[in-house]
Amino acid sequence: MLRVTSLAAYYGELRAIYDISFELQRGDVLAIIGANGAGKSTLLRSLVGLMNHGSSTRMRGVVEFDGHRLDKLAPDRIVDVGVALVPEGRRLFARLSVEDNLLAGAYLARCRPAIAALLEEVYALFPRLRERRRQVVSQMSGGEQQMVAIGRALMSSPKLIIFDELSLGLSPAMVDDIYRNFTKIVESGTTTIVVEQDLKRALKSCTRFIVMLEGSIVLEGRPGEVTEEQITAAYFGTTVAVRVPGAAHG
Amino acid sequence: MADTDLYWIGIDLANGILSAAMLGGYYALISVGLALSFGVMRLVNLSHGDWLIVAAYLCVTLLAAVPVVPFWSLLVVVPLMYGIGYSVQRFLLNHVSVQAAERRGMSPVFGLMLPLLVTFGLSIVLSQGMLLIFSSDAATIKNDLSFSAIRLSEDLSVSTLRLGFFVAAAVLLGGLTLWMRSTHIGRAIRAASDDPEIAALMGMRTPHIYAVASGVALASASVAGFMVGMSRSFQPFDGPPFLLMAFGVVILGGLGSLAGSFVGGILLGIVQVLAGTYFGPAAQQVSGYLLILLVLAVRPQGLFSR
Repeated sequence: MLRVTSLAAYYGELRAIYDISFELQRGDVLAIIGANGAGKSTLLRSLVGLMNHGSSTRMRGVVEFDGHRLDKLAPDRIVDVGVALVPEGRRLFARLSVEDNLLAGAYLARCRPAIAALLEEVYALFPRLRERRRQVVSQMSGGEQQMVAIGRALMSSPKLIIFDELSLGLSPAMVDDIYRNFTKIVESGTTTIVVEQDLKRALKSCTRFIVMLEGSIVLEGRPGEVTEEQITAAYFGTTVAVRVPGAAHG
Repeated sequence: MADTDLYWIGIDLANGILSAAMLGGYYALISVGLALSFGVMRLVNLSHGDWLIVAAYLCVTLLAAVPVVPFWSLLVVVPLMYGIGYSVQRFLLNHVSVQAAERRGMSPVFGLMLPLLVTFGLSIVLSQGMLLIFSSDAATIKNDLSFSAIRLSEDLSVSTLRLGFFVAAAVLLGGLTLWMRSTHIGRAIRAASDDPEIAALMGMRTPHIYAVASGVALASASVAGFMVGMSRSFQPFDGPPFLLMAFGVVILGGLGSLAGSFVGGILLGIVQVLAGTYFGPAAQQVSGYLLILLVLAVRPQGLFSR
């Protein structure tokens, strides 16, 4: 469904990620683990087309998704072929109401006929948003804003949904709440990529993971295939990087 | 005797406020395009005033060719100006915008200067172009309303033309607000003005959305230009004073706020007319600028900006 081959991305002359290759099948949940500056967000930005537009950033490599070359498409086309991003820091349209933010997520012509049903699905997932649908989002708590950000991404009925720092800056109770809904989204069969700082939670909720260090993948596999110590070592780069290809090791 | 004095003081005040509110509608009409450009694209369009005059000339030219009631010329000029606004934004201003400069990794200062210089250049090209085509003779949109007034009571009346400005401003601003709130494209314009990068991730083509916003800005400027042409004579170089007027209103109301333009326009009108009535014509202009200074000092983001 998604195949990334030899992906590299640059900010000016600075190479932020390189030699990134991985594949995802339909229904996979991929957790991307890594310290700050490891290149996780740059990888996600590359997938949604934000690194190959403008002269200060550029990318190389191939990103294929459902027969489309994402590396050749602009961000507004990438969402149209079914990839949605829940960005780090939520990045909501601050002056718009909850409902307007959600409706903005369904801007694409293919979403408009189903707009009422999509809105209803999001409100069923996050009933609190229905109560607050007229509220301007800048006046809401971080957790509620995260719900709006997730809802907004779901409004484009994506086949692949990408969460950048799903639980960053949220209270523990809110994180539990968000993850309950995350599980529901995953169970609906949507292919998912999630960047998460909380290692345990990331491993618990994914079917595959990659660990990034200094711009490249140093470890990949499925939860249970490698020990938590190995992952921690790869995370901090304290041992020689071991690349576990696919599902080879237990 | 005292009662009669009081009556006339009241009538003076009522006439003043009434005509000021109507003048405010005129100011609001002039500034709405500028507010929209700034609010959506962060574009300070220095050619705004010249576009008003372009629209006024288009009306005059059209009415000379097809002598109908002046109002009908808007049916052609408004869509035409929308098309011009769309094209200018799409093919020129999008390439020199703050956002384009950011994409190219230029410094924010340069990013702000670039559109200023380009729209300043556009202003010169427009005014010189009009001089070339229409010469420097004063033009006007001939109409029957200029000298007519509606009597509200024996001593209270309002200029029909100014009432027209007020109604046009209210309808235009109300319509625009409704359009921005309830349509997909309006919502996209608000979203793109908030965060263009994320708007693109929602499938919004920001170059197209900015072009639509610019088209609407010039379409509303054409209504303002028509009103200017109805109420006075104009020449190719008359644009810049309207830009200044619009700047004042937009600063008062809050950069980018449509409701702010309306309230800012009316406030400016009321202060100017009352100052003119009680302290003489010289005070009229000064009071407007004093009001702008006062708002800048106390609430620099303007009355309606969040």
